[in-house]
Amino acid sequence: MTSSAEPPNEPFAESPDEPPAEPPTEHNGSGLQPERTLLAWQRTIALLVVVGLLFLRGSLVPGGDNVPEAPLVVRVATMAVLLVIGLVLGLHLWFRWRACEHGTRVPETGRPPLYLARPWAMAVLCAGVLALVGVLVLTVLLGL
Amino acid sequence: MGSETRPEDSRGAKRLVDYRFTLANERTFLAWIRTALAILAGAVAVLHLLPLDWAQVPRTAVGLVLAGLAGVITVYAPLRWYRVQKLMSRGEALKMSVLPVITTFAVGLVCALVLLGNLL
Repeated sequence: MTSSAEPPNEPFAESPDEPPAEPPTEHNGSGLQPERTLLAWQRTIALLVVVGLLFLRGSLVPGGDNVPEAPLVVRVATMAVLLVIGLVLGLHLWFRWRACEHGTRVPETGRPPLYLARPWAMAVLCAGVLALVGVLVLTVLLGL
Repeated sequence: MGSETRPEDSRGAKRLVDYRFTLANERTFLAWIRTALAILAGAVAVLHLLPLDWAQVPRTAVGLVLAGLAGVITVYAPLRWYRVQKLMSRGEALKMSVLPVITTFAVGLVCALVLLGNLL
């Protein structure tokens, strides 16, 4: 048996005749950190919109008046604000992702980026979540 | 290569921090925000979504506690991010955070309240 003579070091090698591909120096040991951070941002934005949709939805049982409902205007306005925040953050991340060449290097430094999003984007995200908390608490307290 | 020791992106940093650590810090911040959003979804469900057979007062109390916890996490997460960022740029050791303990006890308290309210 000669199958054990070739350890599976290069799973993407297509044929033994071709020259070996260049070693992935840019991602060596980095664990694709920028990509993981981008995906974390995407999950967060998606969850923000989903929670806004839940708030917009209102009672799960149609016609049931045993669930206190926030006014429709408040719910639609909240959803609109959250959508705008998600859009701004998504566009910001998209531009940042293109500017740093898919997370590999920032043009000024030649290194991977230290932040994916700027700190103001984090502040905007926090403000959006806090606004949702505020709307929820206020509608409940004023609706009592 | 590697001639610049003070890149543009590390404003306020005393020395160069490994980008893996700053990005991990950013992801930790995002994970806290997602935790807050999940708790907030629970608050929305209790307050506005589900036709529960609860009295008005416990429903409102549980919903408000969850919403308040989400607010606390949302305020704390960026502060924690900034603090860790500063500690890393100075090369100091990270300090423990009390927020996991607070979150655990608050969520456990809400679970116990709901469980007791349903059993009794």
